[in-house]
Amino acid sequence: MSVSVPGLENAGCLMLFGYNPNASHPIVARRVVKAKEKGAKIIVADPRYIETARIADLYLPLNNGSNVAFLNTFANVIVNEGLHDKQFIDEHTVGFDEWWKTIESYTPDRTESITGISPRLMKEAARMYAHAQPSSVLCWGMGVTQQKQNVESIHTLAAIACITHQIAKPNSGLAPVRGQNNVQGSCDMGALPNVFPGYQKVTDAAHRQKFAEAWGVPTEKLSDHEGYKVSNVGHLIEEGRIRAFYNFGEDPLQTEPDTRKLAQQLAALEIFVCQDIFMTQTTAVADVVLPATSWGEHEGTFGACDRTFQRFDAALPPKGECRHDWEIIADLSTRMGHPITYKSTREIWDNELRALWPAAFGATYEKMAGLGHAQWPIPTLDHPGTPDLFLGGKFTTPDGKAHLIAHEYKLPTETPDTKYPLILCTVREVGHYSCRSMTGNCTTLSLLAEEPGFVHINALDAEARGIKQDDLVWVYSRRGKIITRAEVDDRINVGTVYMTYQWWIGKCNDLTIHAVDKRSATPEDKHSACQVELVDDQLWAEQHAHEIYMNLKARMTQESAPQQIAPHQRGDR
Amino acid sequence: MEKHMAVCPYCGSGCKLNILVQDGIVVGTEPLQGITNEGELCLKGLSGYDFLNDTKILTPRVYHPQLRPVKGAPFERVTWDNALNFVAEKLLAVKEKFGPDAIMLTGSSRGAGNEANLVMQRFARACIGTNNIDNCART
Repeated sequence: MSVSVPGLENAGCLMLFGYNPNASHPIVARRVVKAKEKGAKIIVADPRYIETARIADLYLPLNNGSNVAFLNTFANVIVNEGLHDKQFIDEHTVGFDEWWKTIESYTPDRTESITGISPRLMKEAARMYAHAQPSSVLCWGMGVTQQKQNVESIHTLAAIACITHQIAKPNSGLAPVRGQNNVQGSCDMGALPNVFPGYQKVTDAAHRQKFAEAWGVPTEKLSDHEGYKVSNVGHLIEEGRIRAFYNFGEDPLQTEPDTRKLAQQLAALEIFVCQDIFMTQTTAVADVVLPATSWGEHEGTFGACDRTFQRFDAALPPKGECRHDWEIIADLSTRMGHPITYKSTREIWDNELRALWPAAFGATYEKMAGLGHAQWPIPTLDHPGTPDLFLGGKFTTPDGKAHLIAHEYKLPTETPDTKYPLILCTVREVGHYSCRSMTGNCTTLSLLAEEPGFVHINALDAEARGIKQDDLVWVYSRRGKIITRAEVDDRINVGTVYMTYQWWIGKCNDLTIHAVDKRSATPEDKHSACQVELVDDQLWAEQHAHEIYMNLKARMTQESAPQQIAPHQRGDR
Repeated sequence: MEKHMAVCPYCGSGCKLNILVQDGIVVGTEPLQGITNEGELCLKGLSGYDFLNDTKILTPRVYHPQLRPVKGAPFERVTWDNALNFVAEKLLAVKEKFGPDAIMLTGSSRGAGNEANLVMQRFARACIGTNNIDNCART
């Protein structure tokens, strides 16, 4: 994010594009409400009438899968209405003329049939966004990233902020609000196939030399080419490129697309290691399960969505034989010939991050003690941290300027047809999280709803299929077929059904297409084709749904049953 | 009652909270005046703590290393030495036969924390010799 979470409420306009903070980040949603109370304009562009749409000044119900067409049109209107800042464009951007060659033809009259947005509404929104004082922020989430044209959309979002000069000043710019509590942090830490910690490229020889020296290995030991992305792992196993998979703290058989296919692919591994806190659908098929301490049982630091590092403590001692994640990996590395001998998280932080990433040098454990925090870039010990990026129009490109890039609109990979006439879009809800292994084991949260979960369907689509509220239905796609419950929802659009992510029986990822874009390898989870059908015998369906859920839970218990039998009780292997 | 400072383990908002512990059992959370949450918590921040008590409502915690001695065999609980030597041996065999790029590893963008990711990416790069390290940033 170029802006901080607290800074959002000081903007003059927040435009939420494919982002539903009430479900994904309720505390950010509060900032939107506070911004509104302070006089900010709120624009919501989303196919669903999400909670924030209720308080929006403008609501734009764009069609699913039309993001680039929408954004190109939005940009087109900005220029044709003269809402752009020519001086900022001249001084701080490059490529405007080339960019305009693509954008020029995306007039609102021409794209209305694609986006579903009238020229009048498009112009009103563009004016509201571009004219807002003192700043506007474009906020997005997976409604942008989990689409075929995800990187393309982000290029255009960034271009819109640049041509209007709604970036490069306080509380402005771009807010891609990261989902998981440490997704920004793990990217910052170099848990990415193209960069060392601090986004230092692995293809840069100088960076390789620096890290090789710090790690006490010859420079040529460090790979000089980018690695694979984990969202491609299934196909890579199938092609024989990946033979071993060390999966740490993820449950891909719940959270990755086309999970049934992925399960077959994982079975072909020579060795599949899972390091986790729970028995999950993924750890249940591992060859080795390494038990780690949970959040609450260890200390460390997290990086929030707005680049803020904060410390957290342990509240409980480790249970059973659980060990801290870093201790397990360091022990394994030592056994495999590369000793890692740290004694504390602080030592790791100081040696592996602060010493090797200049922009984080000032992020000391002392600064983050108690309620303290450190927001990078924070290059020196007395630096206050950086809530706003790119102030004054200094961008992080080699020439310091923003490079405007435009793309033509393309259809999603899979579009509805007669056999699969509905779009399936995966979404989140407030009470459960990701694969649900944590929230599903919480007493209060587990009361909110139960398996087999829900498919949200518009009243017209439900009626056409003879489906009533709470009926059990089949949802099927080219990948699979699941049973779930109908939630007839008048806040969603006709022609698209929405399924939340966390249900193990009503599992949307048994249905989603596994298509990823080449650059980011993010799956197109927002756009699969499917059909919904009433289960004829509702009594049978209730029994069936209950039974398969009980069977799944029993399998989890069964796979963890060996936990009760210590090696000495079994006799030494 | 003990109070332990933490950051919420769910979304990326970075809300500071206290974990409340009574006799070794987590009994609640309370919001703190963190930079992003300023004394507020959401439903998950307020109610998402007692998985730490291993309620087994959905699925049990794992407390001991376990492995399948041969592919497809039932799990057996083993010692840490056995488990880590087994993994080391298998990974080295794959590396020997197919090269370091035949091994895929992940960090974790959830409760493990930054330091575990730092060690994991170093293990991938300096020990295995591959950049096949990634995290669940996309889903």
